[in-house]
Amino acid sequence: MNIDEKGFNQDFQFEAPMAPKRTRLQEFWLLFRQNRLAILGLFIFILFFCCAIMGLFITSGPDPLFDPAMIRLQEKLRPPLAKPNLDSLRREEIPCLGFYLMGTDDLGRDVFARMLQGAWVSLTVGFVAVGISVLIGIFMGGVAGYFGQHHIRVDHILMTILLISGAGLVMAHSIRFGAVLLCLTLAYIFYSFFTQNRSGEKSVPSWAKVFRKSAVSVDTLIMRIVDIMLCFPSFFLILTVVALLPASIYNIMIVIGLTSWMGTTRFVRAEFLSLREQDFVAAVKTLGASNFRIIFRHMMPNAIAPVLVSATIGIATAILTEAGLSFLGFGVPPPHATWGNILSDGKNFIFDAPWLTFIPGIAILIVVLSFNLFGEGLRDVLNPKLRERH
Amino acid sequence: MANNNTLISVQDLKVYFRTGHECARAVDGISFEVRKEETVCLVGESGCGKTVSALSILGLIPTPPGEIAGGRILFQGKNLLELDEEDMQKIRGNRIAMVFQEPLTSLNPVFTIEDQIGEAISIHKNVGAKELRDRCIKLLKDVGIPSPVQRLKDYPHQLSGGQRQRVMIAMALACDPDLIIADEPTTALDVTVQAQILRLLKSIQKIRSMSVLYITHDLGVVANIADRVYVMYSGIFTEQGNTAQIFHDARHPYTQGLLASLPSRSKRGKRLYSIPGTVPNPAYKPAGCPFHPRCPHAILTCAKEYPEMCDYGQGHLARCPVLLEGGDGYK
Amino acid sequence: MLSFIGRSVVQKIITLFFVSIVSFLIIHIAPGKPSQVDPMNPKFTPEVVERFRKEFHLDKPLHVQYLYFYKDLFTGETVSWKDNQSVLKKIWERFLNSLPLFIVGTIITWTLSFPIGIRSAIFRGQFYDRSATFLSYLLISIPGFFFAYVLIIFVVNQFHVPVIGMETFGIGDGASLPHIFMDRIWHLLLPSVLGATGGIAVLSRYVRSQMLEVEGQDYIRTARAKGLSPEQVHYRHALRNALLPFVTMFGLILPGLIGGSVIIESIFSWPGMGRMAYEAILARDYPVILTVNFVSAILVLAGTFISDLLYLIVDPRIRL
Ligand SMILES: Nc1ncnc2c1ncn2[C@@H]1O[C@H](COP(=O)(O)OP(=O)(O)OP(=O)(O)O)[C@@H](O)[C@H]1O
Ligand code: SF4
Ligand SMILES: [Mg+2]
Repeated sequence: MNIDEKGFNQDFQFEAPMAPKRTRLQEFWLLFRQNRLAILGLFIFILFFCCAIMGLFITSGPDPLFDPAMIRLQEKLRPPLAKPNLDSLRREEIPCLGFYLMGTDDLGRDVFARMLQGAWVSLTVGFVAVGISVLIGIFMGGVAGYFGQHHIRVDHILMTILLISGAGLVMAHSIRFGAVLLCLTLAYIFYSFFTQNRSGEKSVPSWAKVFRKSAVSVDTLIMRIVDIMLCFPSFFLILTVVALLPASIYNIMIVIGLTSWMGTTRFVRAEFLSLREQDFVAAVKTLGASNFRIIFRHMMPNAIAPVLVSATIGIATAILTEAGLSFLGFGVPPPHATWGNILSDGKNFIFDAPWLTFIPGIAILIVVLSFNLFGEGLRDVLNPKLRERH
Repeated sequence: MANNNTLISVQDLKVYFRTGHECARAVDGISFEVRKEETVCLVGESGCGKTVSALSILGLIPTPPGEIAGGRILFQGKNLLELDEEDMQKIRGNRIAMVFQEPLTSLNPVFTIEDQIGEAISIHKNVGAKELRDRCIKLLKDVGIPSPVQRLKDYPHQLSGGQRQRVMIAMALACDPDLIIADEPTTALDVTVQAQILRLLKSIQKIRSMSVLYITHDLGVVANIADRVYVMYSGIFTEQGNTAQIFHDARHPYTQGLLASLPSRSKRGKRLYSIPGTVPNPAYKPAGCPFHPRCPHAILTCAKEYPEMCDYGQGHLARCPVLLEGGDGYK
Repeated sequence: MLSFIGRSVVQKIITLFFVSIVSFLIIHIAPGKPSQVDPMNPKFTPEVVERFRKEFHLDKPLHVQYLYFYKDLFTGETVSWKDNQSVLKKIWERFLNSLPLFIVGTIITWTLSFPIGIRSAIFRGQFYDRSATFLSYLLISIPGFFFAYVLIIFVVNQFHVPVIGMETFGIGDGASLPHIFMDRIWHLLLPSVLGATGGIAVLSRYVRSQMLEVEGQDYIRTARAKGLSPEQVHYRHALRNALLPFVTMFGLILPGLIGGSVIIESIFSWPGMGRMAYEAILARDYPVILTVNFVSAILVLAGTFISDLLYLIVDPRIRL
């Protein structure tokens, strides 16, 4: 028998059966569906999202449906589902459901309305804070991972220090000296642009070469910054800054965001470093794609998975942190309700009015839990190494 | 079929992996036997289920996702699939030992060589500390590791790949097993080391008169050491016979393709043949003959009917009715 | 080895230097001047404020203040603005109060998380694993202050023991020694359990994933192929490898001495470091805030240094 003898199948017209073609999203959903806890998390998350948005509309405006700030001293500390005492209330004070769904607090304010208002706070704090930290993290990590081996020259560092101290001095009211520094820096920046454009024509004097030496690589610099940031105990740092700044929900979001980007930076950097080494990036590069295109079309989609997971869990952490700050009395100024300060106010009545502690406590627990479950489910699905083990 | 000479006989073994919504039929009904003091080779492309077959003999299929869906494994008359975990432990390493595919990762990085070889002995044999050490040294010497006494205190990362594979072999030999399963022991090593390890295995087998089940995807190696050969494709055997039958009288198109893609002196200057297409995904196998999408002789029936083994006499079987001379193909 | 230690120490000192600058800047550039400690307080006449500013060099430029502050810190002369006591002495006293909380909490965390994590990994996908997983998510997600109140209500209602503070007020006189001892234990137990819950949840998850990672390795298959029993495989071969990263975590628990205890200590009126930091923040007592920050940065850096060293020692693959 010889290999050259051909049978019926000369030009291989028999098709091999293929695994059914699925898009990445379908594949992802098929795996995700098996994790019942994660589905539960997703469901609660969507519910919470709707509640928060609805809450924003029905508790704000000039004449809200549920007024979280309406004080009815004669109706204080009513338990959940209690009927209001209609005789003692003015018409606009009667709760619109006809009863207090979650009771009232020590000032007779409707806890349900306050919870709705607080939901929006928790939601925005979670998303904005994590949005800030993810943006910073991706930027720093991407730069460290992709441009990491570029070096920063001594003069760059000197100029940056001058620039910052100039700006600092201007802010610290010694405007004249600061302005001199700023002008000097700007002049040098123009000068270096100018010389860069006609580089090599005139050699710099030898004493100036010291400034042209490369000092640290971008990667080292960024990772050192991360190390420095990690030295601060995070809750303590947040507490300090929030205490110094004027009380406002936006300050809290910004501060939480600014102090929690280090993890994302590390992920993205590690992912970029490993992606850089892979063939497809080299191939795209030889095709002449720009750095921008490589980063955003080819590397970002691969690096985004771990970021997504850490962001989901980051939202949970941010909500907890905000609740903790509210509990300690920082952050959102008083009439506005957050889950943390409802609980904080309620703790004085813990034996008389336990619902003031339990309702916000359990609400925070459930929302944070749902984010954590959803995040872990995402991690399991997105991490191919873990896939077989569950 | 099973006479007194048979050491292990596997009958209609099926191993499936269920992952989520799919069921991969990695091993789909194989039967083979290894006789005493014989070297049997399992050959096949990557992913055809060789390692899974070997692991199921030792009862090491990870369950879940794995599952032994049927068959029997008779070792010295006992069905290994029916033994409980404790009895199985007495067989593993003691009567049947295995050398794994990846020498670089198959040794525990936090234990010394002495710990790991000594452990293999002391599980099954009751020996004192002094004798244990002597045995370790002797084993290392047997597998050709230079200055074994100094090596005892080394950690795996201090050895080269070839030395680690020798240590693995030493561990497998530790209790003088009846059967050694060598799962591509040379794939991860460079060519000269491959040859050394092969020679080592052959000489050890002679001296200790053991049986060896040698798993490989390299027909060149098979010609070197095998007494009998089983050719595996997509979880089934496509052809079996002794080495001469397989190499000089191959009756299955897959075997012929493998042989044609083997470089040899007579084919110098010509382009090497390569089998078109790829191994089927074990979760989505073709109906009928699993080889038909890649087979140059396939006829319409091949895509519909599962082919039977055809007997060519003297133990030479091939699963291809189309090429059965004198026969009329599918009935 | 020595060069590694040298390099790492130098690097840590540089980091510390930058931390000191950054924390100093954060505090001093943020709006709100320390000289307005309490503008409503009638004691703070302009003259007093002026003297105060002079005394603490607040009239000097920022970098001079910086030098003064850290010179004082290193010579141990920093004093709190609030009560003129030495900051280091204050921190030391509070540290001694926090220490039992920290030690008990750490012991609870470590003794519980390992068995839980290991068992979860061995029985992965089974009932035990699932309930442990769910429970740890629950513990991670529960707000500490809420959990604290739930526990307080429970303990107070069930056992009728007071739990606020370090000991029952006025118990020192007249009570027998075992009584005082038990009282101390009761007061210690709740805050340390609370401090440990998050740790248990995180650590046991981490132990589990580490263990699973190792159980998937080739050498575990080798060990089973030798004929070892499952117990020997899990507890000898797998555990030894899975434990490696945890040895290094001994270093990383150091910063926990200051870290997240602020809320718990203030709920339980426990006069520890966290509460002192909280009070200092409220009073804008900058020397205390900065010193606590500096000390905790030292702890973090020392912790990472120790864990790097431990890793060198325990992992045979790393030899410098
Ligand atoms: N733990 C597992 N989970 C799911 N599927 C598995 C598992 N182990 C093996 N398989 C499936 O079984 C098939 C056969 O695998 P096996 O390791 O036996 O191949 P092999 O013939 O040894 O290949 P190689 O020459 O590459 O070692 C693979 O295609 C794989 O899909
Ligand atoms: S049965 Fe048909 S498809 Fe299979 S090997 Fe023979 S000819 Fe090829
Ligand atoms: Mg294999």
